[in-house]
Amino acid sequence: MADAPAALFVRGLSLKAGAAPFDLDIRRGEIVGLAGLDGHGQDAFIETLAGLRPPVAGHVGVGKDGERIIRSFRRAVQSGIAYLPRDRRATGIFPSMSILDNFAIATVGRDRKLGLISAAERRKRYDYYRDRLSIVAPEPGRMITTLSGGNQQKVLLARALAHKPDVLLLNDPTRGVDIATRRVLYSVFRELAAEGMALVILSTEIEEALVLCDRILVFREQELAASLADAERSSERIISTMFGRAA
Amino acid sequence: MARLTSDQARVFGALIVAVALHLTGTTLIEGYSSEFSMRAMLVLGSLLAIASIGQTLVVIVGGIDLSIPFVIGFANVVTAQLYGGGMNFALVCLVVVGLACLIGALNGLISSSLKLHPLIVTLGIGTIVQGSVLLWTGGFPSGSAPESITEFVSIGGSVGFLPVPWLVPCFVALAAIVTVALARTAYGRRLFALGSNPRAAPLALIHPVAMWTATFAISAAFAAVTGILLLGFTGSAYGEVGQPYLFQTIAAVVIGGTALVGGRGSYLGTVAGALVLTEINTLLIGIGLQPSLVQAVLGVVIVVLVSFYGRDAHVRTTI
Amino acid sequence: MTAITTSSPTASRVPALKAIWRQTGFAPILFVVLLAINIFINPARFAPGAWGTLIGLAAPLVGAAIASAPAILGGRGGIDISVGPIMGFVNAIVVLVLIQKLGLSSPFIVVGVAVAIGAAIGALNGFLATILRIQPIVATLGTYLLLVGTTLTILPAPTGTVPVWLKSLGGPLSILPLGAVFLIWIGIRRLPYYDHLMAVGSDDRAAYTAGIPVTLVRFLSYVITGVFAGVAGLMMTALIGSADPSIGPTYTLIAISAVALGGVSLAGGRGGLLGAAIGAIDIFLLQSALTYFNFSTFVLQIAYGAILVIAIVLTALQDRWLGRMRGVN
Repeated sequence: MADAPAALFVRGLSLKAGAAPFDLDIRRGEIVGLAGLDGHGQDAFIETLAGLRPPVAGHVGVGKDGERIIRSFRRAVQSGIAYLPRDRRATGIFPSMSILDNFAIATVGRDRKLGLISAAERRKRYDYYRDRLSIVAPEPGRMITTLSGGNQQKVLLARALAHKPDVLLLNDPTRGVDIATRRVLYSVFRELAAEGMALVILSTEIEEALVLCDRILVFREQELAASLADAERSSERIISTMFGRAA
Repeated sequence: MARLTSDQARVFGALIVAVALHLTGTTLIEGYSSEFSMRAMLVLGSLLAIASIGQTLVVIVGGIDLSIPFVIGFANVVTAQLYGGGMNFALVCLVVVGLACLIGALNGLISSSLKLHPLIVTLGIGTIVQGSVLLWTGGFPSGSAPESITEFVSIGGSVGFLPVPWLVPCFVALAAIVTVALARTAYGRRLFALGSNPRAAPLALIHPVAMWTATFAISAAFAAVTGILLLGFTGSAYGEVGQPYLFQTIAAVVIGGTALVGGRGSYLGTVAGALVLTEINTLLIGIGLQPSLVQAVLGVVIVVLVSFYGRDAHVRTTI
Repeated sequence: MTAITTSSPTASRVPALKAIWRQTGFAPILFVVLLAINIFINPARFAPGAWGTLIGLAAPLVGAAIASAPAILGGRGGIDISVGPIMGFVNAIVVLVLIQKLGLSSPFIVVGVAVAIGAAIGALNGFLATILRIQPIVATLGTYLLLVGTTLTILPAPTGTVPVWLKSLGGPLSILPLGAVFLIWIGIRRLPYYDHLMAVGSDDRAAYTAGIPVTLVRFLSYVITGVFAGVAGLMMTALIGSADPSIGPTYTLIAISAVALGGVSLAGGRGGLLGAAIGAIDIFLLQSALTYFNFSTFVLQIAYGAILVIAIVLTALQDRWLGRMRGVN
C-alpha cells in the first residue's frame, strides 16, 4: 500500500495563524485516523480537506500531482471528495423528507431522464447501497426520522458514497450508533479501502482508530503533533501525544 | 408511509371541507350550484390559486412573500398603461413578467444573502414598487385590457363544449406542471430539502442564495400573471387590486397543509385551500352577510381549520 | 446579550454605547439626521411649545410599534399582526359604545376598558399561538380578520366625538400615555420575566431545558402586546377625536416595519421597545419632512420602503462587520 498513488496532497497547511505548517500525502486504499483532544485542530483539518474552511496557509490538492486545489466544498465534491458531517441532526438529515430523498438529494441530477427525476432510476441506485450497507428500512418512501440513528447514519453514508468519491472524509461516523451498526460500518470502510478509496476518519474513540486505521494523525494545539503508523500505533502513544507529553 | 399519508390527509381534509361547504351552500342557498355560480367560483378560485403558486414555493423553502399584492398591482397597472400606450400585448406581458422577476429576485437575494427576515424585505420592496407605480401614473392609472385577455378570464366564456373560460383548463394544466415540478425535478426536491434543514442543504450541494433568488422570482412572476389576468377580469387598471391577496395567499397555503416553518407541503393542498376560501366567501355572501361580517367569520374559520391540522410541535418535542 | 454587556463590571461607557448601537442599528443615527432636517426646515413645528401636538401626532405609530415588539421578542415566528385592528376595535368600542351609547366618559372607565379589551384579545392571540400552537402569523391573521370585520360591522362609517380629557391626550398631555407604556415596560424589565422572555426568544430549547415555562412566557408576551395595543388605540382615538373603522388596520404593517427598523430581530430575542419606538419616530419624521417639501404621498411611500430596506441591510452588514472584528480579537 505504501507505493499506492496519493489521492490527497496536503502542502504547507497551517490551521491557525502561527501554527507550524505541515505536508502530508494520503494514499489510495489507506485509512487515516484523526485524533486529538476536542478542538485541537482535527476538526479544522477534516473541514479544510472538505473545502469547508479556508486554510490559513498552504493548500489541499487532488489529481495526479495534487494540481487541483480545493477552494470550496463544491470544488471538493467535483474533485472526488465526499464528506460525512459530524452532527447528523443539525447538518445531516432532512427531517421532513423520505429516506429516498435523503439518499438522493446530493446527487439528484443523476436520476434525471428527459429533465424529470426517474423514480425507478433513483430506487435502483438506492437499492444498491441499501444492500451494500445493509440498511434496515422496510419502505424507502417513509420519512427518514422513522429510522434508528444507526440506519439514518447509513443513509447519510450512502448519500456520500453516491458521489462515487476517491476520498471519503468521515467526521465521527459512529457517534451515537449502536454496536451492531458499528461492525457493519467498519467492514464497509475496510472494503472501500480495499477497492482503492482513501478514507480519513475523525474518531473520538482511540480504540476505534486503532482497530480501523493504518495511520493515525494526532493533533495538538492546531498542529500536527504526530503521524503514527504500524507498530507506533498504541493508545499510550496517542494519549501522551494528545496531552503533549513527550513519548 | 406515516408522514406521507399525513401530508396527503391534510390535502384531502381541505378538499373535504371544500366539498362540505359546497353541499352546505347548495342546500342553504338557491342557485348556489347554478351554472353561473359554479363558473364564477372556478374563475375566482383559479385566480387565487395562481396567485398562491409563489407563496406555496416560498413557504416550502422557509420564507414568506408579502410583496405579492404589490406585484399584482404593479403588473395590473403597468400592463394597462403600456398596452394603452400602443405596445404589442405579448411584448407587454414579457416586459411586465420580466420586471416582476427582477423584483422577486431582489427579494430573495437580499433576504438570503444577508439572512434578513423575508417578511420585512418583501414588505419594504413591495412598498417601493407600489409607490413607484403610483408615482408613474399619478395615482390615476389609465389604459385598458386587450379583448383577448378579457375573454380568457370571462365568467361567461367557454372552451368548446366546456362551459368555462380558457383560464380554468389552463390553470389545471399549470397546477399539474407545478405539482410535477415539485415532486420530480431537482429544483423541487432541493426546495423541500432547503426548507427542511437549511444548515444541511449546502453539504448536499444546494445553493441557498440561488434557490431563494429563483423562488422569489418565480413567486413574483406568478403574481404578475395574476395581475394581468385581473386586468382582464375587471376591465380597467387599479393599483390596489392585489390587496385582498396579501393574506388570502397565506391562508390558502396554510389551509392546504403547507407548514410555515418550511420543508413540507404541496401545491395540491394550496389549490384545495383556495377552493375552501372561495367557497366560504361565496357561501357567506350568499346567506346575506355583509362583506365586513364575511371577513370576521373568515378569520374564525381560518383559525378553526388550521387548529385541526396545522399545529406546531411543542418545544419539548423539538429538543 | 446587551443586558449582560452593559451591566458587566468591566464595561466602560464605550462598550455601553456600542451595545446600544448593536441593539438599535441605524435607527438612532437616522433619528438625529431626520430630526435635524425637520428642525431646520420647520422650526415652528418643532418648537418646545408645539411638542404636545407633535408627540400626539407621532404617538399612535410609536404606540403600535411598541405594542408589536413583545410578541416578536418571544421568538420562533412570534408576531402579532392584529395590533392595528386592536387599535381600531378599541377606538370603535370607546367612542361608539362607551361614550356615545352608554355615556360613560370617565377616564378610569375608558382607560380600564381599553386596557381590558387589549388584554383579552392579547390573551386570545396568546392562546391560539402558544397553547393551540397555531403559527403566530396565521393565528393573529385570524384575529385580524375577525376584529376588522367586527369593527366595520358595528361602525360602518366614521362618527362620534371624544371628551376633552381624551382629546388633550392627543395634544398638550400627549406624553402621558406613551410615558405610562414606557413605565410599565421599565417595570417589566426589572422582573425575572424579562430575562425569561429574552432567553426564550434567543433559544427556546435551551430555555425549556433550563426550566423556564416557555409557553407561559410566550403567552404573556401576547397579553403585553395586546395591552399596549389597547393603549395605542386610545392614543389614536385621542388624535383623530372620533371613531373611524378604516384607520386602525393601516398601522399593522408600518408598525412591524418600525420594529425592524429599530433593530428588533424578527427571529426573536434581540432588541427592545426603545429601539421600536425610535424606528417609529424615524418613520414619522420622514413623513413629516417629505410632507413639508410637498412631495406626493407616492414619493413618501417609496422613501419609506427604501429607508426600511436600506436600514435593515446596513444593520445586517454592520453585524457581519462586528462579528468579523470579534473573530479577529
